[in-house]
Formats: sequence, C-alpha cells, structure tokens
Amino acid sequence: MRRRFLLIATVATALLAGCSGGGGTDSAAAGSPVSGGALTWGIETEPITLNPHQYAQAKARLLTWNNFEALLTHDDKGGYLPWLANGYQVSPDGLVYTVKLRSGVSFSDGTPFDAAAVKANIDLLLSDGYAPTVAAVQLKNLKSVDIVDPSTVTYTLKQPDVLILDFLSSPQGAVVSPASLKAAKNLKAGGPELAGTGPFILDRYTPGQEIHYKKNPAYRGKPARLDEVTYRFLKESSVRVGALTSGQVQVIEGVPATDQARITGNPALTLSRGLNSGSAYSYYFNVTHAPFDDIRVRQAFRDALDVDTVLKGVYRGTATRAWSVIGPASPLYDKSLEGTYGTNPGRANATLDAAGWNARDAQGFRVKDGKRLTVRLVQSSPFVRDRRDILAQAVQAAVKQSAGIDLQVSVVDQGTATKALEDNQYEVFDNSRADTDAGAALNLLLSSSGAINRLGIQDKAIDGLLDKGQAEGDPAARAGVYRDLQQKVVAEQALIQPLYAPADQIAANKKAGGLGFEPTAGVPASAYTVWLSK
Amino acid sequence: MLRRLATGLVVLWAAATAAYLALLAAPGTTVDAIVGEGADTPLIRAQIISEWHLDRPAVVQYLDYLWRAGQGDLGRSYLLQRPVSEVIGSQLRPTLTLAAVAGLLGVVLALILAITTRRPWARRVSSTAELVLVSTPSFLIGIVLLSIFSFRLGWFPVSGGQGVAALVLPAVTLALPVAALLTQVLRDGLDRALDEPFVVTARARGLGERAVLVRHAVRHALLPVITLTGWLFGVLLGGAVIIETVFGRPGLGQVTLQAVTSEDLPVVLAVVVFSAFVYVAINTLADLACLVIDPRLRRS
Repeated sequence: MRRRFLLIATVATALLAGCSGGGGTDSAAAGSPVSGGALTWGIETEPITLNPHQYAQAKARLLTWNNFEALLTHDDKGGYLPWLANGYQVSPDGLVYTVKLRSGVSFSDGTPFDAAAVKANIDLLLSDGYAPTVAAVQLKNLKSVDIVDPSTVTYTLKQPDVLILDFLSSPQGAVVSPASLKAAKNLKAGGPELAGTGPFILDRYTPGQEIHYKKNPAYRGKPARLDEVTYRFLKESSVRVGALTSGQVQVIEGVPATDQARITGNPALTLSRGLNSGSAYSYYFNVTHAPFDDIRVRQAFRDALDVDTVLKGVYRGTATRAWSVIGPASPLYDKSLEGTYGTNPGRANATLDAAGWNARDAQGFRVKDGKRLTVRLVQSSPFVRDRRDILAQAVQAAVKQSAGIDLQVSVVDQGTATKALEDNQYEVFDNSRADTDAGAALNLLLSSSGAINRLGIQDKAIDGLLDKGQAEGDPAARAGVYRDLQQKVVAEQALIQPLYAPADQIAANKKAGGLGFEPTAGVPASAYTVWLSK
Repeated sequence: MLRRLATGLVVLWAAATAAYLALLAAPGTTVDAIVGEGADTPLIRAQIISEWHLDRPAVVQYLDYLWRAGQGDLGRSYLLQRPVSEVIGSQLRPTLTLAAVAGLLGVVLALILAITTRRPWARRVSSTAELVLVSTPSFLIGIVLLSIFSFRLGWFPVSGGQGVAALVLPAVTLALPVAALLTQVLRDGLDRALDEPFVVTARARGLGERAVLVRHAVRHALLPVITLTGWLFGVLLGGAVIIETVFGRPGLGQVTLQAVTSEDLPVVLAVVVFSAFVYVAINTLADLACLVIDPRLRRS
C-alpha cells in the first residue's frame, strides 16, 4: 500500500481553531470574551473515574479536557491537529509514526512534559491489569514506543493502523504526569492527585456533589478565561433545567425533548445541539438463529417500521433520524443510504408471507410452523438513556400493528442482560457508540472477532473491508472503503435497523459565551474557551 | 450486655452472608458486571479475573472476605477503584445528617400535629393531608418543593450539600411522609390513652384538657412510635436514595444505588453490614427509651 509522507506543522492559530470549532452557542448577548469569574455548570453524569486512561463514558469527556491534554486533537473534518505535539510523520509503509513534542511544557505538579513522560504513560497503559480495554482495543497493533530524543517519540505498529491517530487524540491517550501516576493512592480512580498539562487544574472533588477546577496559571498557551469552574452533578433533567432558569447554574448539558420548550421559551437562555460521533443508535439483528437468519425477515422488520413517526412520537421532533450504522456527523457516513428502505408495510407483509410467516394467531401475530414471530430485545437498565425504553415500546407497537411482528422488550439488571447475550437468548441488540472515529466502533460491532459483535456475523468480506479501512491512510480512499461497508451491511444484507443519531444539548444563560461542541466528537467541549460576561 | 453484643455480631454476620449469597445468586458473574457495556474480549476478561482474584472458588472468596472484614478491611470497589471504607466514609456524614434532621423534624411535626388537631374538623383536614403525603412518592414531593421554593422563589439552593440552606428542602421532603405516618400512629395512641380510666382520674383531679394530653396521654401514645424507629431508619435510608438523586446531594443513597445496579459487591456488602449495624444500635436505643418512658417496664 502506498502512503503519503505527511507532516503537519504547528501554527498557534490552528490550535485555537481546533478547540473553538463546532456549532458554538456564542451569542451576541455574551459580548466579547472577558477574563475572570466563576462558572457553575450542571451536568448529568458523575464520572466513574477521573483518570483519563480509564475513560469509558462519553459524558465525562467535557471534564477530561479541562486538566488533561493529548498529543493530537480532532479537527472538524475528520483530520487531526497537533496539540501537545508539534507535528507527526508517518513512514511510507504506515508502520512508524514519529511524533515531535512541544518543548517547555510542564505538568501542573512541575514534572516536565517530554518523551520519557509519553513513554511512561504508554508503558503503564500496556502493563497488566491497568487498562485492559485500551490494551486490547486501541493499542492492539502497537509494537513499541521509543524515545528518539527528549522531544521525539516513535510509535511502531505491528500492522498499518490509522486508528493510532485517534488514540493519540483520545482521553485514553492523554498524557498524565508520570510522577503523579506513581504517587497516586487510588490510581485508577484518579482525581486531584493526577496532574495534567491542561488549562485548568482539578483541585476539589466531592463525590455525589460536584467537581471543581481552577485556572492553571502556568498554562503553556493562551490561558483559560474563567478563574474557576464548578461542575455540579444534577441527575434529574427537570432539576437541571430548574437550576438554570432560576440562575443557580449558568450552563447545563443534557436537555431531553420534554424539557426543551422551557429553554427555548425563555429569552435569557440559549439551547444548542451537537450530533455525536461514532455509531448511530441502532437495532442489530442476531443472525445466528431464526427468525433473523432469514434476510427477508430482517428486511420486513425495517419495512414495517416508520422510523420518522416513531421518533416524532417519542422525542417530539428533536431527534435526528439515522439511516446508517455510522452517525450522520461522521466524515465516513454514506448519505446515499437515506430514503432507500423502510416505511413500507405493504412490502413488509408480502415479504413475510413469502418467507412462510403467513398465518396469524389469535392476537394478530404472525406464525410459522406453530411458532410465533417473536423477537426479543433485552435492555440493561443501568445503560438505558435517552428514553430508549420508551422508544422500544413505540417500535414494538409499530411493528405489531403494521406487520404482526412480536417484539418483546425487557428492561433488566445488567447481569441478566449480559447473561441473555452470552446465552444467545436475544434476537435484537441495541447500541450506540461514541467513538470519535466511526471505524473504531465498527471494528467492535461488525468484525467476526469484534468485542461487541452481537449480530453474530462471520463474514470475510466485511472483515476485509474493516481491515482495509483501518489500514488506509488517505481520507478519501478510506471514506470509500466505509461506503462499501455500509452498503453491504445496511443496504444489501439488512443487518441493522438504524434509529437515531445520538446528540448532546447545551443550554446556557446568555451571559456565558464560548460554549460549544468538541469537533468530531460532537459532545460538549471543555471550559477552556468559555467566558462569563459581567 | 455481652449477650447483646454477641447477638449484634451474629446479626451483622448473617446480614453480610445473606447479601453475599443474594449477589452470588444474581444472574451474571462478577466479571460480567465489571465488563458492563464495554468491549468484551478474552484478554480483557483474563485481566479482570487476575486483578480481583476471581478465579478462586466462591467459598474461598467468601471466607477471605469475612477474614479481611474482621480485620477492618472492606476491600476495594470494583467500579470506583477506591477502598470501600473511603467510598462509604466520605458519604456517611451527609446521609446521617440528612436522616437525623429529617427524622427529628418528622417526629416533632408529628407530635405537634397529633396534639393540636384534636377538634373534629382539624382532625379531618390533617388526616386527609397525611393520607396524601403518605401516598405521594417522595420524588414528586421533592420536585414540587424544588419548583416552588428553589426555582420560583429562590429561597433555597437546589444542591450544595454543605450549607444549612441546602439541607432544608431535602430534609423537609424526607420528613413529610414520615411525619404523616407517625401522626396517624400517635393520634391513634392518644385516642386509646384518652379512653383509659387514669384519664378520668386525672380529669377528676381538675387537670385541664391540655395537661391531660401532654403530661399523661402522650407518654402512652409514644410507645408504639418508639417501636417504629427501626422502620423509620429503613424509610430514611431508602428515601435518601431518591432525595439525594433529586437534589444532587452526596450521600450513601447514591452510592448504594450505583453499587447495586452495577453489582459492585464490596460496596453493597459494606452498605448492608453498616445498615444492619445501625439497625441493631437503633433498636437497642429504642428499648432503652421505652424503659425511660414506661416505668412499668423497669420493674421486670
């Protein structure tokens, strides 16, 4: 495979462009940026861990980048910008990534940031029992990391893998002070004892209540505008909205459809939405046994469903419909899939008749050889969000009415859900992933050996396309590979019923400016560029 | 006294064992719970098993747990990756403060209501209100109180945890259903006490109605209330789960909820043992309080 020699030079302005991009909420009312002040931000999710290496919740991303930084960052077109690095080169065979580091940068505990620090982080990530998910997924193709000189490191891969760049810009790839990693009492939990290089310093964490950052006075770049920022954990959406409307917090994230009218109807507040990266929220059909081993039943399920109507009923017109397994915000998204399937009950019924499901039982469900056309969806209650349980009920009613399909939805505890998946006692699996690179999500979801391959699919052609996409360095060629892949799994094989593109919302008082969504990831950005007018 | 201590220890051990067995019987393994929704490969599983020593037989794990717990080591949280003593310890004070204030408020409110609403019409109004409060989920009470006193009037903050102002709404929310139920029990007790011959005697001595109530009848009516304190603790701890979520307060309730849903065994066990401990302590105190209130019990 040919590979272009790539060198990205750092320009200070490019750095700022990288972090203030994405649909911002900057409003005229907030005026021009001012320095100083303390902001309180109501957030939905209290992170399980504050150690960026252990990061597993997209909702925790906005906290991570306050006090930690990675070597690279995403731009808004699917590319990468240097951040803690000065630039990077890829060898022609795609196996060696040489990264030049910024000099003169220190962690907030005084430890210098250099090649040794970067290597120490990787060594820890690969050590036994520290971060098994990172080692098994993101770094699975990494052979070694070597120090060339104090400001140069090389990453050598076992096989070409462009997702290494995604790792270098991910929270798990954030560089933490090696001294603080060594000294930390609760290493995996993180917290104030871990030092980063970011524009803020995490100085106080009160579990169950709030997390507090103060400005990093020694920040290497343009300093943060706020002196301090407090994130308060408010799990109930109506409480978050009430806290915002009464001025107790200036910003909130996570505004469900039912509460959005309270924001948009208030002239002092703004509401903005960002579509998340990664995979769309979809139903994956289990092809390992009946009835979804028959492609006609899969097609009929999709034809039986009017996704737009269902979404409108559940989310009041605030949800963005998904047409592919990849979310519409991704540069890898195949737009040509839009409008090519679904909302055709006539065809659904004809297909099911042809597939042998032509009898009906007393309740109106289709039957074949005395067995009802039942498919089971098992949802794990700790992970149900965005009213996905309600959505499942709406889908259940829709496919029953239009085609006599019996979708059985159960919301259970996590152990029961995992057991159902392990015992193959399910026909529908629901999932969305917030990976910044959709390819990383598809590797887990569609590959024969994928860690979340709940389709049960074993398809050489799909595996081949995934491998090709992971090795392809040219963005246009790479998008082509994933277009072929989406055509295969969504259009040809009807393996997936995409539903909606997960989104995040920010609601804020107009006094707060500089808020926005992180480019590519589509989740609320950190407080770095935020200001509060007086 | 020694006997009481031994009984207490047996109760703690039984509680821990029961919780252990319940979690063991729950579907899915501990590894499943730790993997959660994330990536799931043999390598990841192997690392989790070796990290938490889950390859040992359940009996060995149980005995090891008891041995360590006996030495005061409650283990580490699977989910939060911190020592359990730290996870629980930091959340203990906010919950105990909330429960104590709410419990006290509930009892005081109940006393005032039961004594002041003796007239038939006041009684009807109060009974209706009590019934409504007992049957309303505390989640709803919390949201309504928040909407009025925090969002609209701005008198109290929605969360904050430390200040006294932030304690008012959660404590009232938790206290109202408690007060409602205790009022009903107290009123019932008062009615019964007022039918007793000693009340006639007291009245015959020329005692005023108020003095009869406060000095004589209440003492009798209090006994069933005292025996309810064990139940009261359960209500307060259970209510804290919801109240802490609604008000964004730190506390044991949130920790418990998270630990149970994610099958975080070490934390669940610690919470159960702690609850059992408080339960034993409170029941002992309640027995002592009965001795103070009722002189007849002292003789035996």
